[in-house]
Amino acid sequence: MYEKHPCWSILLRLFHWMFALSIVVLVVTGFYVNSPWTNTMLESSQSWPMAWMRYLHFVAGYVFSAAIIIRLFLYIFGNQQERIWDILPVTRRNLRNLWKTLLHYSYIKEAGQHDRLGHNVLAGLTYIVTVFAAIVQICSGFYMLYPEAAFWEGWGVAIFGNQQSSRYIHHLLMWWFIIFAMIHVYMCIWNDVKRPEGVISSIFTGDKFTHTKA
Amino acid sequence: MADTVHNTLDPQLNRRGFLKGCTMAAAALGLSETMIPKLVEAAAAAERPRVVWLHFQECTGCTESLLRASHPDLAHLILDVISLDYHETVMAAAGHQAEEILQKTVTEHAGKFILVIEGAIPTKDGGIYCKVGGKTAMDTLAEIGPKAAAIIAIGTCATFGGVQAASPNPTGAVGVMDLISGVPVVNIPGCPPNPMSFLGTVLHYLTFKRLPAMDSLNRPLFAYGRRIHDHCERRPHFDEGRFVEQFGDEFHKAGYCLYKVGCKGPETFSNCPAVRFNDVDVWPVSVGHGCVGCTEPNFWDTMTPFYDRLPMVKIPGTGIIADADSVGTKVLGVTAAAIGIHAAVGIGKRLIKGKGNE
Repeated sequence: MYEKHPCWSILLRLFHWMFALSIVVLVVTGFYVNSPWTNTMLESSQSWPMAWMRYLHFVAGYVFSAAIIIRLFLYIFGNQQERIWDILPVTRRNLRNLWKTLLHYSYIKEAGQHDRLGHNVLAGLTYIVTVFAAIVQICSGFYMLYPEAAFWEGWGVAIFGNQQSSRYIHHLLMWWFIIFAMIHVYMCIWNDVKRPEGVISSIFTGDKFTHTKA
Repeated sequence: MADTVHNTLDPQLNRRGFLKGCTMAAAALGLSETMIPKLVEAAAAAERPRVVWLHFQECTGCTESLLRASHPDLAHLILDVISLDYHETVMAAAGHQAEEILQKTVTEHAGKFILVIEGAIPTKDGGIYCKVGGKTAMDTLAEIGPKAAAIIAIGTCATFGGVQAASPNPTGAVGVMDLISGVPVVNIPGCPPNPMSFLGTVLHYLTFKRLPAMDSLNRPLFAYGRRIHDHCERRPHFDEGRFVEQFGDEFHKAGYCLYKVGCKGPETFSNCPAVRFNDVDVWPVSVGHGCVGCTEPNFWDTMTPFYDRLPMVKIPGTGIIADADSVGTKVLGVTAAAIGIHAAVGIGKRLIKGKGNE
């Protein structure tokens, strides 16, 4: 018998899909902006590929930033699964979960029933690192987008030194998101196979399932 | 004594040239033409500001570009507007005589003279890597700097350390800003900077009795407030996706955007596309070479390779130097392989042990 539990709020699912789709757009357009692989040889074609790619990149950047604001809000004001204390490996419960997850993921010891409905601590930690990386991307991105705005100029110079360094870090961190996405999708499929909690459908429906002894 | 250069080398700055130079400076400063008379008045005032010009770790290129500008009136105007009391390259005095003038200006006009610094200041090993008159650059700056009304750091070396400060920075070279506090410092970076940016700053100071508005790196906004990319004449080619693929190709001949051959215009703040150089209205991008980003901090470390978009990734301890995307692709490949192994182990385990009792 399985019991259905509401796990992810609508806001969290909204965050997830805003984040995921904006990352896809940002990576594709970002590669183009860094190294445009087309060359408009026809004069006056008025196709503006670079202008369009940059425009899409900026729009996706705003969606990405909004998604991060939602996630930060939910870390503090979300439901039990969404709050940061459910993830940070500072409590005994979370440290135990981290250790068990590591053993489970490396096929050493099967984890039994989950002690929680939300993220395991390893996944949760990876997400925190990703959110941090996203904040660096947002800072470097807005510094490059608004180079003459005193706010971004001040912060940008303080953090990155100059525009080129911020471009460099912006580009390197993009690879974190690509690699993260690949591992994330794999681990979700893996967990869906190993555990009957319905982790993949939960990001659409918001519900997870737990085993009941009935 | 003070006006050696002006009196002996240049008695002939005519009024026309003088007004022309002031007008150019007003344009560079973004002032309306109604301000030009005030600029002229300030520049023609009897009491001209004393300027002490010190050379430290540098190539004198900034001085050269200033004095040998193709428009001779510009150099003459600068020398006419200021009283250049001490300048190692152009002064007639030498040895003890020169040192005496320096001391005299610094003590008699303490708190009133403008100090111009050209070149970086080496700080390693007590600063012994640059000595003038038996004194290290560090000591000279520490002695004279606090007595100045304002310091103008001219050139990328004096502002951010320049090529001397490039990694591994063997002499510990730094810019003026890193050593001086309490005295306003204006940075005029560039390798060399446009003489107009220097003249504009000086005229602004003379006319308004204060320094021009500056960004967080102490660069005057009138000259360094906009990115090169945003004022570039090749910008439409960028937006339209027309790029030079390599130097000398048909796109290069057609004058397309230099982005793909490493132009650093999008990362660099300067007035080059607007003010241009040498009175013949040229600047690097107009003659087919990308910007190298010489007005930015650490440009030798962050803007190189000059003909690629991004700096190389240096993995510490391995000696590996590769471009960001090839490193990224490799890490991605290793991750994909790890995922493959992880999945294979899981499937293998299940084949051997069965599905378990979930």
